[in-house]
Parts: sequence; structure tokens; C-alpha cells
Amino acid sequence: MLEVRAVEAAYGPFLALSGVTLTARPGEIVALLGPNGAGKTTLIRCITGLLRPRAGAIRWEGAPLAGVPAHAIVERGIAVVPEGRRLFGAMTVEENLELGAFAPRARARRTARLEYVYTIFPVLRERRRQVARALSGGQQQMVAIGRALMAGPTLLILDEPSLGLAPRIVESILDVLREINRSGVSILLVEQNVQAALTLSHRAYLLEAGRVAGEGSAAVLLEDPRVRRAYLGPLAP
Amino acid sequence: MSGRRSRAVGLAAAIALAAVPLVVRRDDVLNFLFLVLLSVTLAESWNIVAGYAGQVNLGHAAFFGLGALTTRALWVAGAPVLAAMVAGAAVAVVFALLVGAAAFRLRGAYFAIGTLALGEILRITVGNVRAEISTLPAATIAGYRLAHRYYLALALAAVSVVVVAALGGSRLGLGMRAIREDEEAAEASGVGALRLKLLALSLSTALAGLAGGLFAYYHISYYPAHPFSPTWTFDSLLITFIGGVGTVHGPLLGAVFYVFLKEFLAIRWVDFHLLIFGALFVAIVLLLPGGLVEAAARLRALTRRPGQAC
Amino acid sequence: MSSFLQQLVLGLLLGGLYGLAAAGLSLVFGVLKVLNVAHGQLIMLGGYGAFWLFALRGLDPFASLAVVIPAALVAGVILYWALFGWVVRAPEETRVKNSLLVGFGLALALEAAAVRLFTADERSITTGYAGAVLSVGGLAVPVVRLASLALALLLIGGLHLALARWRWGRAIRATAEDWEAALLTGIDVRRAYLLAFALGTALAGAAGTLVSVGYSISPSIGLEWTLKALIVVVLAGLGSMLGTFVGGLVLGLAEAVSAAAFGGPYREVVGLVIFFVVLVARPRGLFVR
Repeated sequence: MLEVRAVEAAYGPFLALSGVTLTARPGEIVALLGPNGAGKTTLIRCITGLLRPRAGAIRWEGAPLAGVPAHAIVERGIAVVPEGRRLFGAMTVEENLELGAFAPRARARRTARLEYVYTIFPVLRERRRQVARALSGGQQQMVAIGRALMAGPTLLILDEPSLGLAPRIVESILDVLREINRSGVSILLVEQNVQAALTLSHRAYLLEAGRVAGEGSAAVLLEDPRVRRAYLGPLAP
Repeated sequence: MSGRRSRAVGLAAAIALAAVPLVVRRDDVLNFLFLVLLSVTLAESWNIVAGYAGQVNLGHAAFFGLGALTTRALWVAGAPVLAAMVAGAAVAVVFALLVGAAAFRLRGAYFAIGTLALGEILRITVGNVRAEISTLPAATIAGYRLAHRYYLALALAAVSVVVVAALGGSRLGLGMRAIREDEEAAEASGVGALRLKLLALSLSTALAGLAGGLFAYYHISYYPAHPFSPTWTFDSLLITFIGGVGTVHGPLLGAVFYVFLKEFLAIRWVDFHLLIFGALFVAIVLLLPGGLVEAAARLRALTRRPGQAC
Repeated sequence: MSSFLQQLVLGLLLGGLYGLAAAGLSLVFGVLKVLNVAHGQLIMLGGYGAFWLFALRGLDPFASLAVVIPAALVAGVILYWALFGWVVRAPEETRVKNSLLVGFGLALALEAAAVRLFTADERSITTGYAGAVLSVGGLAVPVVRLASLALALLLIGGLHLALARWRWGRAIRATAEDWEAALLTGIDVRRAYLLAFALGTALAGAAGTLVSVGYSISPSIGLEWTLKALIVVVLAGLGSMLGTFVGGLVLGLAEAVSAAAFGGPYREVVGLVIFFVVLVARPRGLFVR
């Protein structure tokens, strides 16, 4: 279980998060929604140890995450699919995936997990010796997700996975995420594609200007007129 | 130290230094002070590009060398030495402007290694084209007056200090942090920044060229490639950083400290001063970027009584 | 004509060492984004290590690689802990400049220490087989230099393999591309930096050993070798060790051609001119692909 309590974070003088509280319970898919600049990625950076919060606490499975260096987060069971995918472009698909299992915790079950990744993303098996930057956007996203799965996480965090992808591909990725969740992995999903996010997740938080502006079950939020007006626009169904 | 006080101190020091040849009859003292003054000029001129344009120029010796080359050639051919020195400075500036526009396309460390390459290109070329030692004709040696060289060195050092102080204001005073910040701001503002950098480079190289002319006037014989040696650049770098880059006093303090220590250590161990200065340099870069000037300021802050204004 | 070909062969043999010298610098620069301008001094010290092992213990220089390389690895670890480990804490822009300054101070100190310890005299290792020459189609190929070229290629090949297959080799490559992503993947980037730096220093030590046996060393060769390494890195770009080796060969050949065209003394100038021109042609530096 992930608990974020009253977290404040700043970049120099600019306060990006002013007291954010949220939880992600085991087995849940939680969505984090909000406009650009709301602080979603900042919060992820705090959770993953890339940014030290100015105030507040982040706890994972009962233990505090403060002071845990970023490379040790994976060891604790949290894996990240960063915004923009951040693959190692000059390395092959397989090398990228195998690096996902770099941490000691993940190394033991490396081969089995690789098999699993190739099963849920068959196209990657075909392209495994190709250099990562030669792949299409959707395929790269698969590699990024696969790399994170190689760590055998209990919590999978995805930052804007649908960015720049065609709707059909977004659909297939959502299906994969659903399946991953069914196998016991909790998911924290940061998304601008509100429709997709709310269809997939159980609960969601709305982040605006560095604080939580709303929260609730995904189904309820999907019907919320405020949400529909703000994020789904005039053409919303 | 306030502006008024440091001006007074500077003036007093200049007068004291001017009086030295009248009071002291020893050549070795004059030679030693000449070296200090030459180092001050080289360091302050190097400081202009480092502190104002925000770049580490590792080709400084090239301009020193060009000034020396030109001055020596013209002076030995019969031209009055001051005119020859000015010509030397002019040649240095022309070369600087020729390569400056290209070199300033490089940022940070690339500018440093790029200018180093340029300096080395000149050194090797001059070393090949003018391999024989350059010696003054006997008549000139007979008429050699050390005091003339000394006063010229004093004047040049004073000029370079005044130029840097005048350029001063808030720009130079920002020191190392400014070098980083200026670089990004300069990138954003485009052409205007390039012109400013070229101006700084021109001032810097003109002074270095004059210093080169002074070198040619001072030495009876030397290898023409010698003033092109990167050691002159490295000395300036060490002096300025240890003293405090981007300040007026830094290179001054650094030069005195450096030359004194070098001469002192040379009695027992030649070149050992480089070991100490190299280590000191690293320590300063990592721990005390403001150099001796910053150290002095901190000491003053420590000893200041509470309630006293800065 | 055969004299020209002879010059080319010698240039090629020297170029192999340029490549090896550059490989260490390239690795450190590419991974840590740190420009260690004391690299040439590390090469110099490697050469002295081999020289003294030979002079005092009679150890064959090629065999002494087995001593020099581990010693250089340790030296690299120490240097990282003491100096460059602090430099990497700054963001990339300032990091390169700071490393330049720190490297500069280190270079001066190391050179002065070498003068103090070893005197400024030029040294060279002359083994029993030093004069041996292989005659290939009328050209004389010094055996020692040929062996050095082969060893340089072997070491670079080994490095390439290590980066490709070894777990930490891949971690190093990943860190070079995107250190934040590497962190998120679970790689201890500081450890990757340490390894890369130690490896770079080891390569410098090896290069120095080969220089001392085929050519000569003195405390002042540091700057020259740093410049050679820089020229090759700028020519070949970052990212490929084999490419860097080829870049070294190209520089060696270019120098030979220029010496033939303009005369011996201008040999050094061509590399520097190429360097400056290429550098200005890519003003954003070497990392932009």
C-alpha cells in the first residue's frame, strides 16, 4: 500500500506540490488526473526518490520512503514507466528489458519474467534484437512497460503512457494493464487521457495547481459534470 | 574593502613600487618585481575573459606570443619600442577577432580545449618557422636599462588593474556563479552577447599582446616559441583562480603569492611550486571557488563585531 | 614512395596507441560527462610504472601490463573517491567545466610530482628484442610496435565485450544514455560512474605502458597525449570503443600524411587543426546525436 501524506515539493522557489494526500491500496488501479503543470510528474518524482519533498511523508508497505535513493526503489517493489518512456535508445529491446531486472530482487526470476513480457507483447519477441530507438512509439511504450515489469514490482507507476500514441494502441495497452493488474500488481496511472484513465482505473484523484481538487471512484468521476466539462470538453459523450 | 580605500591603497602601492629603483640598487629585486608585475598583467588580462565573458581561454599564451614576436621584430629592425609594442597588441587583437567568432561558438569546456588547440597550433608553427634563438644586437645590450623595463611593467600592470576595475561593477563581481549564469543568459540573447564577448576578448588580448611586447623588450635572448608556451596560460589560470576569479584583487593577490612561492621553492626544488599550486587549485575549485579573496572576506566576516555594517 | 608507405605504416602503429589513449577518455567523458584533462598524465604515470618495473625488477613491459592495469584500476577508484566523485554532483553543464578545472590542477600536480620523483629525463624501455623488425614487402615493421598495436586492439576489443555482455557493462552504457532512467531501472549510477572511471584509468595505464616500450616517456608528455586523445574523441564521437580505435588509426595516418606533405615538424599541427575545425562544426559538443 502506498500512502502519500501532505507532501510539499518545490523546484527552487517554485512550489509545485502544496500538500498532496493520496493512497493506492493493494490490487487497485489508481488514476492521477489533472492538467499540465498540475504537479503529477512532480509527485511521481517524489515517490521514486528523484526529488526530495519539502514536507510530508510517503510510506510504502508501512515503511517510509524518505531517504531511500532512487535506484533502491525498485528493490522495494516499485517500478516506473517514466514520462516519454526514457528507453536506452542505443541498446536493443532485449538489453533494455534485461536491464529492468538489474536489481538483485529481480535477477532470480529474470528468464521467467522475460518470457512473460514476450507473451503479453508478442511483437517485442520478434524485434528483440532491434535497437530500441528504431521501434514505433507504441512498441517503445511496450518496451518501457516490459522493462518495468522485469523488476517484478508490486506497484507499477506509469507516467502518461498514452502520450503520442494512436487510440487503437492505447486500447491494447490498457488491456495489457488490466491483465497485469489481475495478476496482482497495483497500478498508479498518471494520465491526461481522462476517458481512458477513468475507464481503466478503480479510483482516481484530480490534481490541480499542486493540490488534490477531487477524488472518488472512477465510475462516479466519469459521470461528474465538473470533470466532464473540465477534461472531456464539449464533445464529450 | 571599499572602493575608495582600495583606490587609495592601490595608489600608495603604485607609488611605493615606482620608488623602488630609486632606493634599491639590486638588479635581482627589480627582476623579481618585474616578474610579479608581468604576471599581474597576464593574469588580470586573462581574468577579463574568464570573469566578464564567462569563458576559460586556454590559448592566452598565443596572444602573449604574438605580441612578443611582433614587437621583437619591429624593435630590432629599428622601430621605437612603444610603437612596436602597440603593433604587437594590434596583431594579437586581429588574430583574436579572426578566431574569436569561431571559437565563441563553443561553450564551456569545448571553448577551453578549442583555444588550447589554437594556442598549440601557433606555438608549434612559430617553433618551426623561427627555430633559432632571438638575441639582441650588441649595441642594444650595451644600452640596456633594467629600470626602463621595470617602469614599463609597472605602468602596464597598473593599466590592466584599472581596466579590470573599470569593467568591474557588478559583472565581474559575481565571480564563478556569474560564469555559469552568464553562459546560459548569453546563449539566450544571441548576437548582442557575441559582440560583448569579442569586446572582452579584444581587451584581454590587447593587454596580453602588450605584455608580450614587454617580454620581448625585457629579455636579451630567448626562443621565439617560448612565450607561446601554454605554461604562461596555466600560470595565469592558477594565479587568477587561487586569487579569486572575477575580482580585481584576486589576480593581484594571486600573482604576488604565486611568484613569491615559486621563487622561494625554486631554491630547493624547481617546479615543486606546481605540485602545491595544482593541489591548491583543485581544492579551491571544489571547496572555495572565490579563491583567496573569498577566504579573506570570510575571515573578515568572522572577526567582525556583531552590529557592524558590511 | 616506399619511404612514404613506411611512414604510413609507422603512423598506423602509433595510431593504435592514440586509439587506446582515447578510449579511456571517451569512456569517462561519455558516461560521467566529465572531461579528465589529466588523462595524459595518467598515461605518463602508467608508462613510468612499466619503466620502473622493468628497470628495477627486470619485468618485461608486456608482462607488466598484468601489474599496471590492476594498479591503475585502484588508482582510478581513489581518484574518483577523492576528486571526480564530487564533480559529478553538479548538473551536466557545470560538471564538464568543473572537471576541466579539477583535471587541470590534477595534471599540474601529477606532472610536478613526476618531475620530482623521476627527474625530467626522457625514458624508454629497451628490451632484448627491441630492435627486432618484421620485413613485409620491403617495409620495416618494428615488432615491439606491432605487438603494441595488437595489444591495444585486444584491450579495446575486451572493453567492447565487457560493455556488451557484462551486467555492469550494460549498466554503464545505460547510465551514459540516460542516468535518471538508469536510476529508475535500479542501477546505482554512482557505482556505474566509479566503474567507468576506474576502467578509463586502467586503459590510460595500459596505453602508457605501451608508449614506454615502443616510444619514450617523460613527465611532460601528459599534455601532448591528452590532446591526442581529445582529437580522436572529437573525430570519432562518443559511444563506440571500436569507433574510437579506428579514429586513433585515422589520426595516426593523417599525421603521417601531413609529415610527408609539409615536413616532420608540422606533424602535430594537422591533428590540432582538424580538432578545432571539427569542434567548431559541432558547437553543441559531442553528446548531440
